[in-house]
Amino acid sequence: MRVIIGYGNELRGEDAFGIDTIKELQKLELKNTKLLSMHQLTPELVLQLLDADEIVFIDVSYDAKNHYALACSLTEQNNLNLSHHISPKTIICMLKSLYTKSPKFFIYSMISKNFEKIEDAKRYKKCINRVTEHLL
Amino acid sequence: MQKQTIVIDPVTRIEGHAKITIDIDESGKVEDAKIHVTQYRGFEKFCEGRMYTEMPALTARTCGICPVSHVVSATKAIDEILDVTPPKAGLNIRKIVNLAQILQSHTLNFYHLSCPDFIYGFDAPKEDRNIFKMMQTHPQMAKDGINLRAFGQKIIESLAGKRIHPTGLIPGGAAHKIEQSQKDEILEQVPTMLKIAQDALEFFRDNLHRFQEEIDYLGSYPSLFMAISNEERTLEHYDGKLLFMDSEGNILKDNIEPRDYKEFIGEAVEKFSYLKSPYYKPLGYPNGMYRVGALARLNIAKSCGTPVADKELIKFKALNGGKPVLNTFYYHYARLIEMIYAIEKIEELLKSDDTMSDNIKSTSTISYERGVGCSEAPRGTLFHEYHVTKDGIITGVNLIIATGNNNLAMNAGVKQVAQRFVDAKNITDGALNRVEAVIRCFDPCLSCSTHALGIISSKVEIRDHNKKIIKVIQRS
Repeated sequence: MRVIIGYGNELRGEDAFGIDTIKELQKLELKNTKLLSMHQLTPELVLQLLDADEIVFIDVSYDAKNHYALACSLTEQNNLNLSHHISPKTIICMLKSLYTKSPKFFIYSMISKNFEKIEDAKRYKKCINRVTEHLL
Repeated sequence: MQKQTIVIDPVTRIEGHAKITIDIDESGKVEDAKIHVTQYRGFEKFCEGRMYTEMPALTARTCGICPVSHVVSATKAIDEILDVTPPKAGLNIRKIVNLAQILQSHTLNFYHLSCPDFIYGFDAPKEDRNIFKMMQTHPQMAKDGINLRAFGQKIIESLAGKRIHPTGLIPGGAAHKIEQSQKDEILEQVPTMLKIAQDALEFFRDNLHRFQEEIDYLGSYPSLFMAISNEERTLEHYDGKLLFMDSEGNILKDNIEPRDYKEFIGEAVEKFSYLKSPYYKPLGYPNGMYRVGALARLNIAKSCGTPVADKELIKFKALNGGKPVLNTFYYHYARLIEMIYAIEKIEELLKSDDTMSDNIKSTSTISYERGVGCSEAPRGTLFHEYHVTKDGIITGVNLIIATGNNNLAMNAGVKQVAQRFVDAKNITDGALNRVEAVIRCFDPCLSCSTHALGIISSKVEIRDHNKKIIKVIQRS
């Protein structure tokens, strides 16, 4: 089974990218796919991923340049800087270390410099469409 | 030697932005240390002009960790404005959801944020003091943390609609009654979850002997304690009146109606932080420093009212011969007892016939132009005060967030631990970790308390006597 997780905050402009992409995917009735929409990644999420062969994370990355570029990377600046929410890397590590699960995983991250509003609705929607097409 | 200042920025394994400055005097000793909360939001202002009915949903957005607390205090404030008393079932649903949130929040602090220190020690390499290492060496503990938190989150989702920013708690009571299947599903997991919580407490207690220095110096000082308290003074998170206790266990003031909180709590503002510093007014600022949260609640409670937690409370109170426990390090201990209590109390409330009643909400219209809602959040007492017009438009809001109540105490703790462990000539990572750890004891939610935007970070700055920064330790 494939699990696609879109996460972010709908009240913070383009931070809603993951959630808005999940809304688009929901229209497609994808087979053998579970869609999850959430505010943030939390440890107990792993319990919903135990049957996953493939996990896709959809999020936004902040960067002043390259607005609306799409990136796929697990690189983290603060992997020891844990708090009340955790990263895709931690989720994957939890699955492997604690449950001996090693699903394939991908990250689709849209670069944004604006968490106040959706700055360019057309380009934002285009990014959603591109990710959606990739996941078909 | 000239005066110096050490800066820890960002402070790690907490929620929100903060930095710590440590001022070194000319003799090389720590002169002062402060926690600076460097973020700002402003919920009080942008709620003005909204309809009072929106307040639970709006203020829940203050926090993604403890939104239930904000919803509970918001609904209680509106209950006052409407002069409405929720029916027993509605009250019990609110209480269960609040306890579920306390459980999941305490769980996260213990297993994910604090356990690396307990397992590997405060002087362990920082590469080891994290959840990744813990997953390798203590996988069952890591799984326990996941399961316990999932249990709390599932209850919130089941009874209140959503895990984050739930909508099922409403002015006048609750939106939905509890179905038998929901009740059964939760109760089925209670024995397993109780065992996990008891194991966690046993692990912590078994390891306490390794941390005597931290117990003695990570914020061990006299202070007042505040919590809401019921008539029997059993452990309380929802109903009751405010009580202030001193460090000897004397009650300074009790039976304070939450709506009168401003007569007893002042809010000082310091230039170095966006976080206000509440204090007990009769003793003035800063002498009126008080602590809230699990440590305060257990110091104030005579009993928990549930069997396993009561046994543990007796042991807890023996730590200081029956007088209030003053060691900030024991916030961890207190939270573990509250986790046990929460599970037991959820079971008790769910088994009550009152809880399963169809009568879950009362309705009314605006009766008063001011309402104050007060509840115990995971981190302490939370106040929501609203002013409305007769048409229900919000004209004023004041929020005292649980973490904010502890601001003076956190600063006192940072200073004490810095004076004990930081040597200006040889600044070790273990010493700086302890400076951060004292803040972690309070489990602050800084984004919540300052109402600020931001990601997680912290920073320590070392400054000389002219406040010139001579060293910065950044965690990222």
